Amino acid sequence: MASLATSLDPRDLRVLEGLRLMPRKSFGGRVRGERLTSKKGISIEFADYREYTDGDDLRHLDWNVLARLNVPVTKTYRDEEDLAVHVLLDTSPSMQFGDPSKLECAKKYACALGLLGLVGGDAVYPRALSARERPMPALRGRSSFHRLAMWTDQLRENSENPIGLSASLRQFAGASARAGLVVLISDGLDPDAGTAVRIVGGRGHEVLFLQILSREELDPDLEGDLRLIDGEGGTPAEITANSSVLNEYRQRLEAHNSEIRDAVLRVGGRYALIRPDEPFDYVLSHTFKRQRWVG
Amino acid sequence: MNFQNPGALLLLIPLVGTIILLYLLKMKRRDLRVPATFLWPKKTEEIRANSLFQKLKFSWLMVLQILALTLVIFALARPQTVQRGLAGRVTVLVIDASASMGATDVKPSRFDEAKSLAASAVSSAQTGDRIAIVEAGPVPRVLCALSNDADRLRRAVSDLQQYDSETDVGGAMRLAASLVGTENSARIVLLSDGVFDPIANFAPGKASVVYQTIGKADRNLAVDALGTTDTPNGRQLFCGVKNFATVAMKGTISVYSDGKLIDSDELTVDPHGHWGKTIAAPADAKVFEAKINSPEDLLPADNQAVALTSPGASLHVLLVTHGDLFLERALALDPRVTLDRTDTPPADGAPTYDLVVFDGIDETPVKSRGVLTFGAAGSSSPVTDQGTGNGPSFKSQEKNPLLTGVDFTSVYVGKSQQVKAKPTADVLAQNSNGPMIVESKGDQRQVYVSFEPMQSDFPLQVGFPIFIANALDFLGGEGDSSRLAVHPGSPFSVASGQSGTLTGPDNSSTKIQSTGASLIVRQVRRVGDYKLNVNGQDRAVYATMRSDVESDIVPKATLALGTVAVKATQSPARFADFWRPAILLALLVLVGEWWLFAKRS
Repeated sequence: MASLATSLDPRDLRVLEGLRLMPRKSFGGRVRGERLTSKKGISIEFADYREYTDGDDLRHLDWNVLARLNVPVTKTYRDEEDLAVHVLLDTSPSMQFGDPSKLECAKKYACALGLLGLVGGDAVYPRALSARERPMPALRGRSSFHRLAMWTDQLRENSENPIGLSASLRQFAGASARAGLVVLISDGLDPDAGTAVRIVGGRGHEVLFLQILSREELDPDLEGDLRLIDGEGGTPAEITANSSVLNEYRQRLEAHNSEIRDAVLRVGGRYALIRPDEPFDYVLSHTFKRQRWVG
Repeated sequence: MNFQNPGALLLLIPLVGTIILLYLLKMKRRDLRVPATFLWPKKTEEIRANSLFQKLKFSWLMVLQILALTLVIFALARPQTVQRGLAGRVTVLVIDASASMGATDVKPSRFDEAKSLAASAVSSAQTGDRIAIVEAGPVPRVLCALSNDADRLRRAVSDLQQYDSETDVGGAMRLAASLVGTENSARIVLLSDGVFDPIANFAPGKASVVYQTIGKADRNLAVDALGTTDTPNGRQLFCGVKNFATVAMKGTISVYSDGKLIDSDELTVDPHGHWGKTIAAPADAKVFEAKINSPEDLLPADNQAVALTSPGASLHVLLVTHGDLFLERALALDPRVTLDRTDTPPADGAPTYDLVVFDGIDETPVKSRGVLTFGAAGSSSPVTDQGTGNGPSFKSQEKNPLLTGVDFTSVYVGKSQQVKAKPTADVLAQNSNGPMIVESKGDQRQVYVSFEPMQSDFPLQVGFPIFIANALDFLGGEGDSSRLAVHPGSPFSVASGQSGTLTGPDNSSTKIQSTGASLIVRQVRRVGDYKLNVNGQDRAVYATMRSDVESDIVPKATLALGTVAVKATQSPARFADFWRPAILLALLVLVGEWWLFAKRS
């Protein structure tokens, strides 16, 4: 738990203990869990009646109906299965910017949201975007939080042969991952980020997009004649940083973020934009709770 | 437009080329690592160039810099524009204030036209132009020294006064030359009709002379003679009229005796011709006046003349001296005196003067009504010369009208003649050398003073002009002090210890302070009948102008100024520097360039 000391303090953990991820959709699980699914199962949650057929468990026969109508009917119940929570953490080189860096901030929120999945009995699939490593197997149960924390702790930005955000998301969508809740933590600085989000949503995932942008990215304070080096290896841009250029940058950023937000909302997901320097408890209460990401 | 320094324009090519070359240099930009570049607009403004060459791009900064440089070089080339106007960079406006400027061929008068031109010159002066205003009156006056204060100059122009007399235009021009003669591109502008005697001893120095002629006609009739003479048939009055025009002129001459009309004639005078008439005059009349009236006449100042009949009313005085400004001034101040000066005793057959004054030059017999001698007794003097004595002390003086208001007790005399009075003479004052003031009342009245004024401090005493006035009264015979005939523009004095009041023809009154012993009247500038109230008594002052120079009012096209002839010009040209607006515009362009640079960077 050494890495937790640098990300989540005990107070944050105590707060998180009482919270659960709140997906809007229900997803079928692979093992029994604590999430109700649309499938009929054996939970205590009544679902419907159907005619009795041979082989049905007599414990589910509704004896009252049989006695009154002389018709055997069987009560069906909703099943409870685990939820697949995909924690997708953007480790592209652009995530190293900001003070504190966007990656450090993303790790903290990945830990926090992953913890909510673990304590909720969900299957948490941590995955580093832009990295060429194999994805981890599902983590289950509170005891797996240590592994989740270790995983986030060893994550570094991938500055060598990075894969772009949109490419990583397309890769994830094409990997036939189990449909579930996709917690995407990224700065979204990819021209095709919106399209990639729609593709992910089209695979049946519910997307929670937490976009992290530093204050310098939201409101840059540059001046003079500059050659901008793209942190992710893109084409350098020569600019003369004046009020006109800065205004146009802000307009473009706003349009880009709007495109991402619209794509997320269109696939039934939720979207939030935070800064790395915003306090954790503030984001928890004003963003996650208010938008009912958690509850 | 032309350029004083056209060579500066050659700088334009290399300097503009240098600016363009700088813009050909490629921008070296500072590298900055950012998360992503796709959000940044690729907008560059080439405001600095310090690296390798690149293709020239259009830049407003470059355009403004080239424009500013062009304007600066344009200013360095000292562009000039030719402008028309009286005022130059340094200008002295000399306004002729003589009698002829009162001619009305230019409405309302030539003098008013000159003032109007001067005011226009002041108004059209450019920033930095300096103008001086000089009034060419009987005594030239600088009404405003070189100045660019337009209000002050306008006040000076409005203060200009005209005199019905001849004026010292030459002195005014010399005064102007002394103001600006050492300045390059200075200009002396004479606003005049050119009606004055040729000006000698004039050199404008580095200044140029511009003569703006005013006036266009010559029609003028003048009363050029009025005088009385006693004949066996009684008193006769002669009246003369002269036509100064090139065409015959008609008019009506009216002659008055003590204000009553005694004769009137319609007359026609040939071009440049004379008309004269002698009429019998009343024997007891005191004042005769002649007035001519002609609708064609353009100069009213010479249309009247006055003759006083008392013997002492006018005195033609000859001053024989080696030079004594005090004495000369004291004599000239008397309104009755017409003064001539010489340094040699008059020879036999010389014109007869009413009075002859010998100042340090031995008295010789003369045919005049009276003789005043200072320190140089001759054979005809009322004293006999017995030598010379130094530092005589005052002894006594008698009570005599000649010495009224004069006190010799405080007069220091350095050297005086030792004389003995002749039996027919009366000694009025004595010093330790003997008789000091001696008078004689024979056929010829004589006054002898044993010292020259310049050998004493007598001219510095208040009693000196009083003594001269007393001497003129005594030597000229009994006069009528209640009437004076004076010339406008010439100051005159009246013996009085109290202040007086002068009432002009327009009934305006001016108070005149006494200098202690006399009133010096300088306010009679125009012809007309004045009234001088002194000690409660009114004295009639008749101011008339009689001058062939001023009456010949035809404007002169060319003036003789010193050794050069100056032609009249209507609109002199001047070169006006144009570099200040160019520099101002360049500064504005640079401000715009700075603003654009700041905005883009």
